[in-house]
Amino acid sequence: MGDPKEITTLQATTILISTIIGVGVLPLPLFAVRAGETSAPFVTLTGMFLAAIGLVFITSLGIRHPQKTIITYSQDIIGKWLGRIFSILVIIFFLILTSLTAREFGAVVVTGVLRETPLEVTVIVMLLLASISCRNNINVFAYIHNLYVPMILAPVLIVVAFSLKNANPLYLRPIFFGSDLWNMAGGMLTVAALFQGSFIITMIIPSMKSPKKAIKASFWGILISGGLYLLIVIATVAIFGPEEIKQIFWPTLELARTTAIPGNILQRLDIIFLAVWVLAVFTTLFSSYFFTIHSIKELFRLKDHKVLSYFILPCVFFLAMAPQNILHMYEIIQFIGRIGLLITILYPAVLLLMDFLKSWRRKRNVAKSS
Amino acid sequence: MWQNLREIKVAMLFGILIPLLSGCWDSKEIEQRANVLAIGVDIASEKERKKEDEISHLSKKFPIPDEEMIKVTAQIAVPGEIPLGPQQPGGSAKPVLVIEVVGHTFEDAILNLQQEIADELFLGHLRIIVLSEEVARSGTNRFNDFLRRNPEIRRTASLVISKESASRYMKIVPELERIPSLYLADLVDNLSSLGKFPPSFIGLFWTIYSSKGQDPYLPYLEIKGKSSIQLNGLAYFHGDKMVGKTNPLQIGIFMAVRGIGRGGYGAFVEVPDKNESVLVRAVSRKTRTKVTLKNGKPHVSIKIQYESEIDEKESASIQLSDSAILEKIEKATSKNVKASIEKLIKSTQKKKADIFGFGEHFRGKLPKYWNKNVKTKEKWNEIYQNVTFDIKVDTHIHRVGMKSK
Repeated sequence: MGDPKEITTLQATTILISTIIGVGVLPLPLFAVRAGETSAPFVTLTGMFLAAIGLVFITSLGIRHPQKTIITYSQDIIGKWLGRIFSILVIIFFLILTSLTAREFGAVVVTGVLRETPLEVTVIVMLLLASISCRNNINVFAYIHNLYVPMILAPVLIVVAFSLKNANPLYLRPIFFGSDLWNMAGGMLTVAALFQGSFIITMIIPSMKSPKKAIKASFWGILISGGLYLLIVIATVAIFGPEEIKQIFWPTLELARTTAIPGNILQRLDIIFLAVWVLAVFTTLFSSYFFTIHSIKELFRLKDHKVLSYFILPCVFFLAMAPQNILHMYEIIQFIGRIGLLITILYPAVLLLMDFLKSWRRKRNVAKSS
Repeated sequence: MWQNLREIKVAMLFGILIPLLSGCWDSKEIEQRANVLAIGVDIASEKERKKEDEISHLSKKFPIPDEEMIKVTAQIAVPGEIPLGPQQPGGSAKPVLVIEVVGHTFEDAILNLQQEIADELFLGHLRIIVLSEEVARSGTNRFNDFLRRNPEIRRTASLVISKESASRYMKIVPELERIPSLYLADLVDNLSSLGKFPPSFIGLFWTIYSSKGQDPYLPYLEIKGKSSIQLNGLAYFHGDKMVGKTNPLQIGIFMAVRGIGRGGYGAFVEVPDKNESVLVRAVSRKTRTKVTLKNGKPHVSIKIQYESEIDEKESASIQLSDSAILEKIEKATSKNVKASIEKLIKSTQKKKADIFGFGEHFRGKLPKYWNKNVKTKEKWNEIYQNVTFDIKVDTHIHRVGMKSK
């Protein structure tokens, strides 16, 4: 990338945090409880670990190739054509991820808040916003994320803190329910899929001041966002109990609706929460959109990404409109999320392994010839 | 006229922006909304049933629900008549409109209601839902679906059971507040902050109803005199059906077993060796519940610590002057409370209504036992009948007020 290398470790961390925290916050407790009943926090934790492992793979790949992204170094590692084919898969996956994020956002807004507003309008407004913002370079991208992180974290923490007044710790026990391990493993994958935005790190590393510190950024990024997810799951389960959560589409939103700030200041916090959540969705959408167009740019060795930003907009929009209804949408989201794990965890793992083998062989050859 | 391309561009931009000025799809002026403040639900009588028109269905053209038809009485705010801030004199117009409709289900009734109202119904300000005892006894689950699905309904709205028909509560005119439904809702909320009732709102009712090891409870109201409403007890449920009610003092006992810290009830306690009594009021309590298996059978031990105060003594013949007598009163209080707890638990066991949530303790603390023997709510209710108890009450009276004798 032609931009100056100005991104600090802190900025990289905030990009990761605000990218990971997104639409998934709302249905997360439902996914976790469906998989593990009272051990939902445990399911979340394992999902987080799985995501962290994937992030370690992609970050260490980035550190080994500090000038390149996964689109370019994959061509060095597994060959030009194979690398390109996999890069196309990655791009298609992120294209779908972007559109599903926008669609999930639209679905929540239409059912929960703006019931008269057409779904298409909310989706296209969000996508337009992302596509216009994506015309900027990566430094502006970093500033935007940096700005929004406190605004995303604080209100969620407030909602959790005030809601704990009604908590019933018995709902969190037994911690290991463990009756259906397969189901729990599936839930772990679904939760890990919510962290897929962390793949953006591969785009950031080439622009970082010191790429070596990327691993530190990844660690803090996943710790803070994962910690927040864990908090949300614990709070919702402690308040509603697993059986009630199974009946609610967006338990986190319901939590905000039930929570009041004492003293009749605010009788329900869902409006504040939703306002913040729009920001969180925007930053997530922004990142995946950004990732998509920059990957396309690198794959085809284009000079500029600005036009591309509008070019893929209709494509994303039509993909977003594809699910027929909200149930269909969540089926697709879970399916795509699990497929995505192959791309965001397994693929980097294979690349890393081959990279190690290659450099090990090269070293041996060097040793032999000398 | 256009000097350069730039100006044309700016003009076109304005052209594009104009449609955006029309604003939000969902915008609605407040006076165009019919704000439903309270809803009362009764079983419809024979005469009222005939009033139903063909609004949501053609007669007999759909599988008519097995449940009896309901009568919904709604209290709708009249725009401009709700006083904001200090009372202005001479507000003679009625601040609310009360309408009755019938329907097979809740949503059916709401649709019928909309047919009679010019403005769009808005349920976001619904503060209280009153179910008559008759409706509650035949099952509340039929209303939950609509209330959960509708995003306007607040989870913090109150749900109460009324002894009389719910429509009377909608028509009642309280003297303390101009808007009847707000008075009703405040009544429920404030009583629970005064320690007269455990926290109770519709979301909590659903949560408890869903959980496997607990049955829900709701406040039970009764009309006293012309326009006064009394909290007359606690209605308890078996599943979604109301099966019984307690008397008001037993609410305090219930709160003690549930482990709700704030005390509010006072009770007369007979002073030992004297035929007189003093009024001891609970200030706070601490409860510890332990569940064990005795020979494979569920057993619960409860330890309650009361902090109490003496509010009043009945006659001058009692001398509250040394700590020895306080100790005696403490012992007597503990004994009374223990007996009341046992009685309350017995009566709920008979009705298979575990409102205390002991089942949740077994589910959480003894998961092996639960998974092997219980698993479902119905099974737990059967087992609950034969749970054995072991109750310990400890009372501490720290204060006797400003009087030294």
